[in-house]
Amino acid sequence: MSTQTQTETTTTSETGVARLRELWNDYLPYWFIAPMVLVMLLITFFPGAYDLYLSVIEEPTFDVFAAEFVGLQNYATAFGRGGALHSFIITVTVVVSALALESVLGFGLAALVAGVESERLQSFYRVLFIIPMAVAPVSLATIGRIMLNSEIGVIPYLIEATTPFAAPAFLSEIPLLTVVLLDTWNWTPFMFIIFYAGLSSVPDTLIEASRVDGAPLWRRYLHVVIPYMKPVVFVATLIRLIDLFRTFGVVYGLTQGGPGTATQLVSINIYEQMFINNSPGVAAAIAVVYLVFVVAIANIVIAKVGFEGVWD
Amino acid sequence: MASQNPSQSPSQSQSPVDTGSQRLDKDTRETLVSVARHGLLLGWSFVVLFPLYWLASMSLKPPGQANALPPDWLFLPTVYNYIRLAQDGAFLAAFANSVVMVSASVVLVLLIGVPAAYVLSRYDIPMERDVLVWILSSRMLPPIAVVIPFFVIFRELNLFDSRIGMVFMYVSINLSLVVWVMKAFFDGIPETLEEAARVDGATRFQGFRKVVLPAAKPGIFSVAIISFIFAWIELLFGLVLTNFKAVPVTLFVYSFIGSRSIEWGMLAAASMAMILPVVIFLIAVNKYLAAGLSFGVVIKE
Repeated sequence: MSTQTQTETTTTSETGVARLRELWNDYLPYWFIAPMVLVMLLITFFPGAYDLYLSVIEEPTFDVFAAEFVGLQNYATAFGRGGALHSFIITVTVVVSALALESVLGFGLAALVAGVESERLQSFYRVLFIIPMAVAPVSLATIGRIMLNSEIGVIPYLIEATTPFAAPAFLSEIPLLTVVLLDTWNWTPFMFIIFYAGLSSVPDTLIEASRVDGAPLWRRYLHVVIPYMKPVVFVATLIRLIDLFRTFGVVYGLTQGGPGTATQLVSINIYEQMFINNSPGVAAAIAVVYLVFVVAIANIVIAKVGFEGVWD
Repeated sequence: MASQNPSQSPSQSQSPVDTGSQRLDKDTRETLVSVARHGLLLGWSFVVLFPLYWLASMSLKPPGQANALPPDWLFLPTVYNYIRLAQDGAFLAAFANSVVMVSASVVLVLLIGVPAAYVLSRYDIPMERDVLVWILSSRMLPPIAVVIPFFVIFRELNLFDSRIGMVFMYVSINLSLVVWVMKAFFDGIPETLEEAARVDGATRFQGFRKVVLPAAKPGIFSVAIISFIFAWIELLFGLVLTNFKAVPVTLFVYSFIGSRSIEWGMLAAASMAMILPVVIFLIAVNKYLAAGLSFGVVIKE
């Protein structure tokens, strides 16, 4: 843009290298942004389009003209036999409850740590609390399988040894809750660390002023602190929301969607349709609906709240 | 939050007369709040550490003792499981695969993303906000929906079970993060820096490489590590797109679960080997973690 008007024409050297260098410098922004745009086009438009194509044909084939068009039959199978609706309900349940738990816990911990007086202790807690994020979901699933196992698990053992209650069978009786709790353990640090940074940006004078009013603590947070850090809360929640819809490893490692279909997230349903039932059409049909669903939700959230205050 | 409850009643019953007793009140109140605060924080610390402690202790127990109940709280630690793991060719191959593929993807995603972020930060892009949301939308696409087309395509292109294919998939999950975070970092670097360099005769590219990039180092460092982590913990791509040659370490750990007689000690050791490097990385970037994880939004504050 502004580079093209650059007055470097004085050095009109005839060598090819210099010519190339000139091209490079004159069109620098284009060279800089082109690879990103190409990769982005490939990863945003191609998968959706190809899913759509796969979902309306009989057998996957590269020859578009040889493909046997079957209309919406795969969609009907997906929502009939495929149990797509059930897996959407499971997914939404997990996403909403994990998001709520992680936000509240993350904010509570951030507020508690921010109030610690000694700076050294504060950074100790800050570093300690981010560690669960280092655990890959699939490792967390293995930890869960070991520690929650009704026969050999240490957590059921400790519950029964130290409390009068009988330990629930985490993986067979309350699998959905177990999944939510494991994800909460894993990703509360994400909310915590962002909220903590947001809280430390709230000016002390603002908090002092609201304290003088004699407002109770929860109202100070609800009406003063949270509105002030709204952009931070918005972005943290949005990104965690998006990432929760990507959940796969922890559930697949823990229960593989079971027992039965009790924890069959949409992503697991699609995986099973594709690789266990060998029906790519049905898998693609659910994938198309899931894509539209998640992108729509994220965009509704963005439209409702907006990036105001994030970009000014 | 519950720790704050005791603070409510005294603050409401403020009377201007007896300042002496109120001071005492305030002190005891603060002590109470502080005790409750640290109680809660220690409680959460326990929740965070216990599973990790358990995993570590399992990996250090001799076989057969790993899952003994009641637990042997006192035991003679042994590195037996780690030695067996180090002799396991499949584990070493998967670990090396992950290191190579994930590192390559981080280098590539930085090469693609950082210059693009610079342009987005410095030039007037038409509909810039829409472009940014479009870039973010690549993160909204659930990986399972993305991986099915690539599974079909990769088979045709001979990229199935190849490291190149996996590197590309890893780039795809991190590109939006890199662009967003680096744009925010570049926005925070005053343009006068480059202008001064230009006046001194530097080209735009030199200005970018010699002036802007060094100033953005913390951002690049943190976004590189966060990208590394997101790719490192990814299971689905390995599960779908590899079967032998390009198997990542996550898939190796997963395949442990499926096997008939699980060797708990070795499984714990393999998990520890996966977790420890990431813990070190996280601690190394903990100051910039919030900026990176919030897609660069927090640093503007």
